[in-house]
Amino acid sequence: MKKKILIFGAGAIGRGFIPWVFPPSEFEINYVESNPQIRDLLNKQKKFLTFKTNNGKYEKLEVPIVHCYSPDGMPDEIIENMDIVITAVGPRNALSLKEFLINTNMPVICCENDSTIPESLKAATNNPNIVFGIPDVITSNTAPEELLKQDPLSIVTENGVCYIDNKVSEIGGNCHYVDTDELRKQWLAKLYIHNTPHCIAAYLGNILMVNYIHESMKNESVEKIVSEAMFETEQMLVRRYQLEEEFVKSYSQKELRRFKNTLLFDPIIRVAREPFRKLATNDRLISAAELCLASGIVPENVMMGIMAAFCYNNEQDPDFNITYLMKSLQPRDFLKIIIGLRADDALFAIMVNQWKNNLQKLGELK
Amino acid sequence: MSNAEFLEIALKAAVSAGNLIEERHKDILNVSRKESLRDIVTHVDKLAENQIIDILKDYDKNIPILTEESGFVQGNLEKTYWIVDALDGTVNYVNHIPFYAVSIALFVKNKITVGVIFNPYSNELYYGADGLGVFKNQKSLKIIDKVPEECLFSMAFSGKKYEAAKRVDEFMLFGKINDSSRGCLRTGSAAMNLAYLAEGKFGGCLGKANRIWDVAAGLLLAELAGATVKFKEVDKEKYLVNYIATTPKAWNSIFSNVEGVYQV
Repeated sequence: MKKKILIFGAGAIGRGFIPWVFPPSEFEINYVESNPQIRDLLNKQKKFLTFKTNNGKYEKLEVPIVHCYSPDGMPDEIIENMDIVITAVGPRNALSLKEFLINTNMPVICCENDSTIPESLKAATNNPNIVFGIPDVITSNTAPEELLKQDPLSIVTENGVCYIDNKVSEIGGNCHYVDTDELRKQWLAKLYIHNTPHCIAAYLGNILMVNYIHESMKNESVEKIVSEAMFETEQMLVRRYQLEEEFVKSYSQKELRRFKNTLLFDPIIRVAREPFRKLATNDRLISAAELCLASGIVPENVMMGIMAAFCYNNEQDPDFNITYLMKSLQPRDFLKIIIGLRADDALFAIMVNQWKNNLQKLGELK
Repeated sequence: MSNAEFLEIALKAAVSAGNLIEERHKDILNVSRKESLRDIVTHVDKLAENQIIDILKDYDKNIPILTEESGFVQGNLEKTYWIVDALDGTVNYVNHIPFYAVSIALFVKNKITVGVIFNPYSNELYYGADGLGVFKNQKSLKIIDKVPEECLFSMAFSGKKYEAAKRVDEFMLFGKINDSSRGCLRTGSAAMNLAYLAEGKFGGCLGKANRIWDVAAGLLLAELAGATVKFKEVDKEKYLVNYIATTPKAWNSIFSNVEGVYQV
């Protein structure tokens, strides 16, 4: 008998990647999705296509679904009847799922880009089986035209791996269940060798006014900044967290190949979305730069990425107010009031000092 | 100019003045009394106000500016004008109580369209504009609707000389709200009260005969964040307004308490 799985979020990871990890041959898939267009289409079609890029080709998987629910007014018994819950709704929305999970006991895998979410959800719901999952993959939230013709819900993912806390290994599926140490290592690598340069590629691509990450990476200057930013964070991970040199090197090579994958069509606006979240002092950009400095590395290329994030200008983005603030505030005020850096912080001093120079370099990218 | 452009100007002016206010905090020279013991002004108020005026005029010298200390700086009540309180909460500032702010609003055709409130001590920057939303520092704000019993309120009283015979009613109202909620505070900064309502820290703010420059920006920010807001000009010459701003669920209860004490 197939296990019943409920996935919160029918976006890139939820729809594009999770069915490869928990395949429909073993699992009965249900979704909860707030976007009414996606929800209605899923319920109308009762299936969709996800494509995995593998050796320069697309591999197709047809995913039948039982139902896609709206988060508003979903009956309690739906959750109670599930064997597994997966969350893939984004860190800003993940904690709002607590109301659905209070006093439940089934395994809940949080595939969110924030390692603190599982503990917060555990505390808020009394469910002891909430664990962290790390999708080591890039999944687009769309697909090229020829695949969308086959199915408007088509989505493209890479051939990735999902690392999950081995506390819930009885679930099965095509996952890598690992212990806490390995999970921490994979998370550090993902946060600083994937997330940091990935969003830098997106913010630089926005300045170039291209649409996809692989287009951004075609620009020689962008490719250089991204790969050198990766080198800075690699060295930081080796020095500060004692990650093996060989591991971080191979991780970087893998990421660079991914960013350049021309089959993936990874949208800039997806990766660059919500710049303030990525600019939080404990997140992939500011934290990476701070840790580099604390490890004796001057992160010149990460700082270029930070400056590019400050310049992100998209009226449709929830953090579009960054544009007003950048236009109106002096660099010192922006860094202190908006980013939350202290005036006596080394990063603050270097960023202020290089502000004009970095802006000029970004202008020359065009 | 668009609301976004006006907002950028107001942000620049508010933060610039806020920096000056903090830089000068250690050397407050003169404290002068105005209408009452708690209505005071320092040289820092005036310096900050001048700085704001310079920045606003630098962008468009034809837009009139109504200020707390200088009155109307050129022009008069026209279709579009700035309203500026360079330092709301001067008593707190002088006493080193970190609850004071720069407050700047833009009126267009009798409607508040842009508002910025900046507390330079805590680096709390509240800002918003019609059609653009309301924010604190990085984050977008939306109040959580709560009933009065779950709310903390704040109240800003009128000056001692304004309807002196009715002042006891204000204190009675203060006590009534204090006893039927999580409390009612008198903080010394009406601008910060309203900013805290927009952020959801307060569930409501009440004010009788407050100066328009104290509350104009805050009333807009609270409304944009989802509060129910009503205000009324009660003395045109002195620029006095009455107002109530609360969570939607607290509105009926607070409004019925206020009726009979003052009009909005």
